[in-house]
Amino acid sequence: MNVPILSIVTFLPFAGAILLIFVNKDRTTLLKYIALLLTLITFVISLALYFNFDAQTADAQFVEKGSWIGYGINYHIGIDGISLFLIILTTFLMPITILSSWKYIDKRIKEYLIFMLILETGIIGVFVSLNLFLFYVFWEAMLIPMYFLIGIWGGKRKIYATFKFVLFTMFGSLLMLVAIFFLYSTYYKATGIYSFNIFDLYKLVLNPQIQIWLFLAFALAFAIKVPMFPFHTWLPDAHVQAPTAGSVILAAVLLKMGTYGFLRFAIPMFPDALQKFLPYLGVLCIIGIIYGGLMALIQKDIKSLVAYSSVSHMGLIMLAVFAMNFEGIQGALYQMLNHGLSTGALFLCVGILYERAHTRLIKDFGGVSKQMPVFAAFFLICLLSSVGLPGLNGFVGEIMCLFGIFKANQVWAILGVTTVIIAAAYLLWMFQRVMHGPITNEKVRSFPDMNKREILYLIPIIIMMFWMGVYPQTFLRKMDASVDNLIKVVEKKKTLFIEAKKETIVLPDTVMAKDKSKDQDKDKEDKI
Amino acid sequence: MDSLQALFPLLTVVAGALLIMLLEVIFKRENKTYLAFVSLVTLILSGYFAGQSWNKDLSYFNGHLTLDNVALLFSLILIIATIFVTLISMKYLTLHNTNHGEYYALLLLALSGMIIMVSSQDMLVIFLGLEVLSMSSYALAGLKRDDPKSTEASLKYFLLGSFASAFLVYGLALLYGAAGSIKIPAIITSFQSGDTIGPMAYAGLGLVIIGLGFKIAVIPFHMWTPDVYQGAPTPITAFFSIGPKAVGFAVLFRLLFPYWKVAMNDELVHSVLWVIAVLTMVIANLIALRQTNVKRILAYSSIAHAGYLLVAVLAQDTSSLLFYFVVYLFMNIGAFAALIAMGNHDEEYHELEDFAGIGFKYPWIGATFAIFLFSLAGLPPTGGFLAKFYVFSAAVREGLIALVIIGVLASLISVYYYLRIIVYMYMREPSREISVYLENPALFLVLFLCLYGVLQLGIFPGNVLIIIRQAVSSIPFL
Repeated sequence: MNVPILSIVTFLPFAGAILLIFVNKDRTTLLKYIALLLTLITFVISLALYFNFDAQTADAQFVEKGSWIGYGINYHIGIDGISLFLIILTTFLMPITILSSWKYIDKRIKEYLIFMLILETGIIGVFVSLNLFLFYVFWEAMLIPMYFLIGIWGGKRKIYATFKFVLFTMFGSLLMLVAIFFLYSTYYKATGIYSFNIFDLYKLVLNPQIQIWLFLAFALAFAIKVPMFPFHTWLPDAHVQAPTAGSVILAAVLLKMGTYGFLRFAIPMFPDALQKFLPYLGVLCIIGIIYGGLMALIQKDIKSLVAYSSVSHMGLIMLAVFAMNFEGIQGALYQMLNHGLSTGALFLCVGILYERAHTRLIKDFGGVSKQMPVFAAFFLICLLSSVGLPGLNGFVGEIMCLFGIFKANQVWAILGVTTVIIAAAYLLWMFQRVMHGPITNEKVRSFPDMNKREILYLIPIIIMMFWMGVYPQTFLRKMDASVDNLIKVVEKKKTLFIEAKKETIVLPDTVMAKDKSKDQDKDKEDKI
Repeated sequence: MDSLQALFPLLTVVAGALLIMLLEVIFKRENKTYLAFVSLVTLILSGYFAGQSWNKDLSYFNGHLTLDNVALLFSLILIIATIFVTLISMKYLTLHNTNHGEYYALLLLALSGMIIMVSSQDMLVIFLGLEVLSMSSYALAGLKRDDPKSTEASLKYFLLGSFASAFLVYGLALLYGAAGSIKIPAIITSFQSGDTIGPMAYAGLGLVIIGLGFKIAVIPFHMWTPDVYQGAPTPITAFFSIGPKAVGFAVLFRLLFPYWKVAMNDELVHSVLWVIAVLTMVIANLIALRQTNVKRILAYSSIAHAGYLLVAVLAQDTSSLLFYFVVYLFMNIGAFAALIAMGNHDEEYHELEDFAGIGFKYPWIGATFAIFLFSLAGLPPTGGFLAKFYVFSAAVREGLIALVIIGVLASLISVYYYLRIIVYMYMREPSREISVYLENPALFLVLFLCLYGVLQLGIFPGNVLIIIRQAVSSIPFL
């Protein structure tokens, strides 16, 4: 593989953003078409990742490595079964969100598109980085475009929401940065080599006392991002205030960065600490599931209802991750994609309603389905996907998650399954109040049904919902090896740890999966 | 090697200053811009001579002036800073009716004082440099003669500055008494041979640290900073935020790093500086939250940055200290340059309210200022992030974990007020119409160069890091 596909996928949107700077800001149609075309090209290229992906191995693929700053800071990217679909999800949703903001964004469209494209690069960068430093750079850099997207194009309380979003995230990630420094210096002291390479850092088996602190720092950063109860308070604000496209990206991809962080860093690096905190984390997840669901039930604003439903759904995903078995983790991965699609689609539907009514309060609607029958059908499918109706994607994911959770802890499973019930309640009740019944608001009578553009961007999502619901093999088989490996690593480290008599040790190369390039000599150069 | 070449950078600057004063008297022209060009030529020449001495380890005056690589690096940082300040001053002085010929001469003299300070091992010579710097600074701060705030700034700076100088001299006297020499290497050797470090030496060190703490504006010696920064002409504020800090840290570096090497079990000085660093980072950032004047916000921000720099000193990591300074030079001068751009004839728009909507009205000023603010806040992919990254990572390596946690949380606070400026620039509607003076090519050149510097240092800092490592590796006591 000589073409650096992964780098192209990552940086093509950014190149597009640079290109847009030089386009006159009054040529709005041209700007939008350029952005749309670029995101579509990115999506098509990212499909090449799927087709060339080797499902048999857990090693990182499409690896690209180049020296950058030195002292362990290298440009090192690659993907495995865990990150593959998250990248494709991002590139898939990006053209859709741009289409969805075609009319919605009516001012400063140029800046808007530039920030959207930069955001895409930031998100993909997070998922492809195999160097902890690079990961952190993308993780933080991604905040800047999101900060502007909420702050400039958001709703009435946009400034409050955007500050809350940035400060919450940074609080977690700055503490994580300290933990990263600590890992870095521990690895250096143990081996004499500077490295941020995550495969090197996986090899560290740390003493449990240190693990606890490091795990807490990493877990806090990711838990805020997920968000797990009680760190979720930024989410409803950010969602409600963000423009539709921002909400879609936030719900569909940004939250997944938190779960991804757990799977990629917090769990394989600190398995013993995880073991200690599992009961507490499980309780937090369950509280999140129930609390999020109950909060969703009483929301007056459709968008914040969907936002709280995210809290509840992400709680289930995290619970499945903490089940720490094959079914659970694979289910969680699959459910991450499902949640991305269905919640993203719900936000798009809310956006469609908002463009017509300029309100999102449930009480202002009623009987919309009479005016907008096509929309009603689309909305219902998205909603049922989120509820977890068999035949649609949500069902497969939820059932796998629950299998995994049940295997690990039956009480968790019993409490966790409530998410399905509550979700059905708040979503269907909302649907009933908004779409059915008599028309109470005269404005509703003037609503046009969905136009071609709106149908065009919802159709792909609907297709994917059915596909993932009916034939999940397409996706699951590519994940198998990586998920299997993750669990093995954790188990291996636990046993090794007991042998190592509670001291920090570095495992030999043979134990762990690594990146395929095997250019170990590059690492040697960093040795001082 | 003893060579006259060691004097060239310094001599050029002093000669330039004297030349400017002469030209001013001889030509008596209304337009003083030509003096800026004379000053620029001088600075570039001086920078060239400094570059020529690289890796040569020159010295003169029996070793009272030693141009080792660290001294050269600091000198180059200061020379570049002065070039930037000269460029951003050119239009500012005409716009604000402060076009005095002695401005550029004073700037060069201040620079000469700083070059003396960074390239000497002799505390008395360092004091001499400090006084040259201070005298010029006091005059520069009060250069807006018809503005009472500027006069107030000058007087405040003078009174508190003299007080701090007195502390420094007293400290030197005590150190001389304890060590029997005023040269840093001799002082260190005396610590090494003595079993314990006596109270007199501690008192001397303490007083010296207070004197320097005033120059680098750390809490609790910062009281003068906000008022002086706000009152002084804005280019001079930019100059103050870099110059005195750099020399203060250079002296701390020369004094404390070798000291800690010999006094292995010294807890006292270390913990005092630890407390100062924490106070500086936390309090400065907290006070900055409440400010509504952008110039004042930047003043407090520069105090906070002194705190981060102290972390590098405590970690005893020279390369991260130097790298931070290089980055700080670009981002801080850049931020002040953007601030200067927000002005017109006799008016400066420095209130937060004035910045409302600027991001869209003047996209280039807005975007560059935003990037400098992101860099000051320490967000990647800017140089500010990498600078903080190196400092904090070095500190964790040295086991200063509590300090680093406080440091990152303090910088979280700072994110709020930096972003607040951006909120005004991009997310608020303007309350009144503001038009700024745009025909200022020198200023935009500086904005562009600083932007380039901040991004280059954030993404590809390779060459700068190599230079810094070269400089550090040549220092014997590290």
